Amino acid sequence: MKAILVGFGFIGRSLVKTIRLKKNTLNLIDKEFKLVGVSDLDGYLYNEKGLSLEKLASINEIPEYSPNFLMEKSSLELIEKCDADIMIETTPTNIEDGKPGLTHMEKALSKGMHVVTSNKGPLVVEFKKLVNLSKEMGVEFKYEATVAGALPIFSLVNECLQGDEILRISGILNGTANYILSKMYFEGTSFELTLKEAQERGITESDPTYDIEGIDAACKVVILANAIMKRDVRFKDVKRVGIKRITPEAVNLAKQSGYVIKLIGTIDKNLEVAPKLIPETHPLCVHGTLNVLHLETDLAKVITIIGYGAGRETVSAMVNDIISVIKKRN
Amino acid sequence: MKLDLTLGLIDRPGQLIKALEPLAKNGGNIISIIHEREKVSSGYVPVSLVVDFPTIANFEKTKRELEDVSISVIKSEEIIEKANVSFILIGKLDVRKIVETETDKARIVNFESSAPTSKEACIRLNIEAPVEEINRIVAKLKEVAEEENAVLISSV
Ligand SMILES: NC(=O)c1ccc[n+]([C@@H]2O[C@H](COP(=O)([O-])OP(=O)(O)OC[C@H]3O[C@@H](n4cnc5c(N)ncnc54)[C@H](OP(=O)(O)O)[C@@H]3O)[C@@H](O)[C@H]2O)c1
Repeated sequence: MKAILVGFGFIGRSLVKTIRLKKNTLNLIDKEFKLVGVSDLDGYLYNEKGLSLEKLASINEIPEYSPNFLMEKSSLELIEKCDADIMIETTPTNIEDGKPGLTHMEKALSKGMHVVTSNKGPLVVEFKKLVNLSKEMGVEFKYEATVAGALPIFSLVNECLQGDEILRISGILNGTANYILSKMYFEGTSFELTLKEAQERGITESDPTYDIEGIDAACKVVILANAIMKRDVRFKDVKRVGIKRITPEAVNLAKQSGYVIKLIGTIDKNLEVAPKLIPETHPLCVHGTLNVLHLETDLAKVITIIGYGAGRETVSAMVNDIISVIKKRN
Repeated sequence: MKLDLTLGLIDRPGQLIKALEPLAKNGGNIISIIHEREKVSSGYVPVSLVVDFPTIANFEKTKRELEDVSISVIKSEEIIEKANVSFILIGKLDVRKIVETETDKARIVNFESSAPTSKEACIRLNIEAPVEEINRIVAKLKEVAEEENAVLISSV
């Protein structure tokens, strides 16, 4: 199979490095597996015989790869002209209108390409439309990395809990907010100071709004509700309270009675992101930048998965999605 | 509905079976039973039971049928299962307003406020209420907190 990568930022580059590292594993499944195109905002590279993974893994900007880099050509053109089977989409998340990812995905799916993505935006805005389009075209649409990074939540539910009814999903869906709350819990520091420290350590963006206002977590709630609970909900349907107003006194009062304050996303008949009191011994009580997902089902009763929800680890989910597509469709 | 019952049985063999028949017939699910033989008084043995009936009508029918076979129901009390939930409230609050939102069924069993070192006030509440009322009470508290622009943090 041939793949193109749209978006060559942190995740895109990490993925290229991982594909190179796991070349043998991938080639055992499909000896023809190749990356034939890469694009970012500035333009794209395309070679139907395959690009050099070694070279790609060693650069930060696409033009460094070759003088044949097509400046000012759009990713859409690459999707249109390529003869690849899979598009891997890793452009920035935009929850207003889903673009540019949404346009890329619609184009690729309509062309009969499978899509693997880490980009939440298009799924928050048009989940149903994209799923229907992929069904209509008879192609795979995989988005494991969009929720809780490396945690295999969709694979778990779709492969291992096929007979279970999922009654409720709750979880810590944002590592930055969890880092801040964990620090406040262990060190008794104020929200403002802890946020500043997180920013200095590069754990949060310079604009931390998405993390601390629960917006990022709410996007994941929307995707989980639509993908797992088969709902048809949008961002505005999620009730949302952030962590800005959590004070050291509140953390301490909670601690005195055996609780930890965590920002929890909940999907049952209600959709909510809000700070909650979690008993210290509850499986949802994980610290640092860890994410956790806790499922309540009719048969298995409870299942919890814990791991990294962002960072380099995210590519684990994307590589698994790529391998799943190859195994199913090659 | 769960009921805590005490029946008075004549101290004679076969009485217990006689008492259980109407219970079973009317859909009563016996959760526990204590036959207090050592407490026999004036020829009667008290039997304490916890029984889950589908409705109050089932219990009333059972009671009549027990009395028809000369078994008296000495005590019958509904058992209300209570849950204890913790909350933390952050912000400027009219605590009285919160207390007033409680129905007669809910009770504040613990209340603690922190030393006000931050600009925002903060309290911890523990409320005891019947299990089936909890969700309604949490929703009501959330509503008040929202009106007051306070943050309500409830337990999972
Ligand atoms: N970072 C994480 O840990 C993580 C975890 C899970 C999911 N995600 C999601 O994965 C996606 C990528 O994240 P990231 O951290 O890699 O972001 P990033 O570093 O900002 O990379 C985004 C890339 O997309 C490119 N891009 C922007 N507009 C484009 C367009 N119209 N056509 C083609 N490429 C375009 C950017 O190009 P330029 O460099 O030219 O601007 C850049 O190469 C996001 O949707 C994010 O939410 C990230």
